[in-house]
Amino acid sequence: MDIRKPISSQGGDSILKFLDLWKKQASVLKQKFGVAIEEIRMPLDDLTDVPIVYVQKDSIISILKFLKEDSEFEYRFLADITATDEESEPRFELVYNLFSHQNRCRIRVKVRVRESDAVATAVSVWEGANWAEREVYDMFGIRFDGHPDLRRILMDHRWVGYPLRKDYPLRGYQMFVDSEPVNLSLLEQDK
Amino acid sequence: MSKDGSSAYLTTKLDVLINWGRKNSLWPLPFGTSCCGIEMMATLCSDYDMSRFGAEVVRFSPRQSDLLIVAGIINLKMAPILKTVYDQMSDPKYVMSFGACASSGGIFNVYSVLQGIDTLIPVDVYVPGCPPAPEGVLHALMRLQEMIAQGQTQSQKKRIEMKKGIS
Repeated sequence: MDIRKPISSQGGDSILKFLDLWKKQASVLKQKFGVAIEEIRMPLDDLTDVPIVYVQKDSIISILKFLKEDSEFEYRFLADITATDEESEPRFELVYNLFSHQNRCRIRVKVRVRESDAVATAVSVWEGANWAEREVYDMFGIRFDGHPDLRRILMDHRWVGYPLRKDYPLRGYQMFVDSEPVNLSLLEQDK
Repeated sequence: MSKDGSSAYLTTKLDVLINWGRKNSLWPLPFGTSCCGIEMMATLCSDYDMSRFGAEVVRFSPRQSDLLIVAGIINLKMAPILKTVYDQMSDPKYVMSFGACASSGGIFNVYSVLQGIDTLIPVDVYVPGCPPAPEGVLHALMRLQEMIAQGQTQSQKKRIEMKKGIS
């Protein structure tokens, strides 16, 4: 092997492999959803390794459902839900990372969310969105409409504030010497 | 009694005899929360063999153990649990702070991590390292044994203070 020759990264490989498919899918999305698609950022044109689809908040669930179930897309696997604090208006970007086992490629769906907004829950599309959305709520304080059990998942339930927001102090310790009080209604649910 | 059957005796102070027994039969509770826990297991296994120092009876119940080995990072959510476990142990009890995270929070100076378990419970020996080498752990154990023999551990000192208060 000639070590002076640059080795293309896995990301680089996948861009060349899937770019045609992604371009086709982008045009289909634009055609079908129109103004609900705010913007599509493609690899090579922008600094990204997978296409980023910015969608309007109100149509997120219908678009996710379409991406999951349409035979040309089949992004059936919800890899992750996360968010970023942009410190601008609208404040947050909610990120859905999807993977297609059929086509072996990924796509990223983003929603711009204001601090006062609540987003519709994706639990109806993927059951696994339940805990992922709880984590986003725990870390960023983004609320999800229609979520079956929107409680904190990682931090103590008595915690004040949302630790991954940019305005939360890095060393904002909150010490609880007593254990969390047991929520007896949760025990009842298990029976 | 000697080996040939003749009787023999030994004079000592009761405190010294009891502390001698305590130091040679430490029963550790392994509070291993992360990678330091692996190093603690290595120390307990045959290569380093902590049982040479009488500390091989690992108990997972605080009621049955007297040495709390806190090996690893303690998150703020874990802190109340550590406090409960410590409170459940019966006196005299000793605490070994194992590794950088347990001793000071280590590299994790962020919102979610306890900055040293000594902010929550009294600690007798600290083992530096990330993670510490088994030799370091054995050194800490031997140091703790010296401290117990001299009655210098936190819980023994507290007991003496309490007795002074009563009399």
